[in-house]
Amino acid sequence: MPIIKQQAPQISGEDKRQRPRDFDGLTAALNSGDEVIRRWAVRDLAEFPAAGGALAARLKREPNAAVRNAILTALTRLGDKEAVDGLVECLRSEDVALRNAAMEAMKELPAEVAPIMDTLLSDNDPDVRIFAVSILESLRHPRVEVWLKAVIEHDPHVNVCATAADLLSELASEISRTALERLPLRFPEEPYIAFVTDLALKRLNEDRSR
Amino acid sequence: MKTAAANKTGMTICEEDFLKFREYFYRKSGIYFEDCKRYFVDKRLLERIDATGSESFRSYFVLLRFETGGEELQALINLMTVNETYFFREEYQFQCMVTGLLGEIVQYKTNNSPLRIWSIPSSSGEEAYSIVIYLLEYWPGIHLWDVEVLSSDIDTRIISLARRGVYSPRSVQHLPPYLLTKYFTPIGCNYKINEDIKQSVEFTRVNLMDTSDVRAYRNFDIIFCRNLLIYFDNLSRHLAAETFFDALNPGGFICLGHSESMSRTSSLFRVRKFPEAIVYQKPRQDI
Repeated sequence: MPIIKQQAPQISGEDKRQRPRDFDGLTAALNSGDEVIRRWAVRDLAEFPAAGGALAARLKREPNAAVRNAILTALTRLGDKEAVDGLVECLRSEDVALRNAAMEAMKELPAEVAPIMDTLLSDNDPDVRIFAVSILESLRHPRVEVWLKAVIEHDPHVNVCATAADLLSELASEISRTALERLPLRFPEEPYIAFVTDLALKRLNEDRSR
Repeated sequence: MKTAAANKTGMTICEEDFLKFREYFYRKSGIYFEDCKRYFVDKRLLERIDATGSESFRSYFVLLRFETGGEELQALINLMTVNETYFFREEYQFQCMVTGLLGEIVQYKTNNSPLRIWSIPSSSGEEAYSIVIYLLEYWPGIHLWDVEVLSSDIDTRIISLARRGVYSPRSVQHLPPYLLTKYFTPIGCNYKINEDIKQSVEFTRVNLMDTSDVRAYRNFDIIFCRNLLIYFDNLSRHLAAETFFDALNPGGFICLGHSESMSRTSSLFRVRKFPEAIVYQKPRQDI
């Protein structure tokens, strides 16, 4: 029969470890010219709690998409301060794919991202504030609406407020009502703000009448 | 016509809440409930609303949406998905394997090493044995190539069942009668798979989430991982995608369940549309 039975998965020759798989050896392997070696170094480093800094540093200059993916997954698994700081730095990158990947990773880390959310939402760069609001879109945290409400109450930039109001139109409760009613007064010349707050308030009224 | 599902206090799910939940659940799990599943969905939703002590759909939805650990979403996914397997389930992908995937793979095989197929989770073995039967029956290349079929699961109890190879009439009901006769022996009211088929599959225990467990799983040409990722959270899906990427040969394919999408999980793979199915491919260096 041409179906042959394999006895058990064997470590093939190419998988045999060439170097010690300790922390120093693995962080050194992050700089290998071979992307397969770098990728496996990343995956193994995810088992070391102290690896966040080295992985985050590599992420900024890693050109290979598969290695980059592995680093993002590893940082999400680690989820410590160094990992989160590394992801936050990516929000300032000009590389759109990296930025989006960092946002996706941060959405998976509610407990770790929550303590820095106020800082992100008051960043000097309005783009970073918009990215922070985008992270809130899927962040599993009970303060999401409180953060969004604060944005539409205080953020001076119309695009940041529009992004937050857009999200509030999906999930606002009564605690956001007053802030939503006031938002168009802050940006009277912006038709999108009027549209999105109308939508959010309409949904709130529907909820109230049920 | 069925009456609306209601819980102990008479609570029901209104149309608007059902639509809101359906859209959210699809985004989170990739599972989309048609309108005809409404009663099924409502009943289970109300069960979880009761179990969590929620006062209304809205308060339950807020819990589901913002709960940090994701345990409630997982509980709901477990309840909403029916863990069912049988021979020739989602047969269109086996057709795709013999009419499309294998032809492309052998075209780029530069040595005579065996074709390697990994089926995970093995569950009680129906999928792995279906693959073997399908290859023997419908792939002309089986006379020219050696094939290895490996099947893995995290659950050692279910692996024992797979190795035993005895199946209920329900499990074999979608097999054409001539294949049932050819590859099975009736035992009481059940069916035992023939020894040569049973001996052709290796079953192993593996935890897909454990890097050291999966390190040895390499050089596969096709991976079938159907209806497993729907049970995972996002991080676990990412980890699984990393593992599959490393386990596949360049140009190798991964087949997911019909409600699953690798595109939502990872950009590592190319989406490939074949007449029978959409599958995902690890890019070769030359394309």
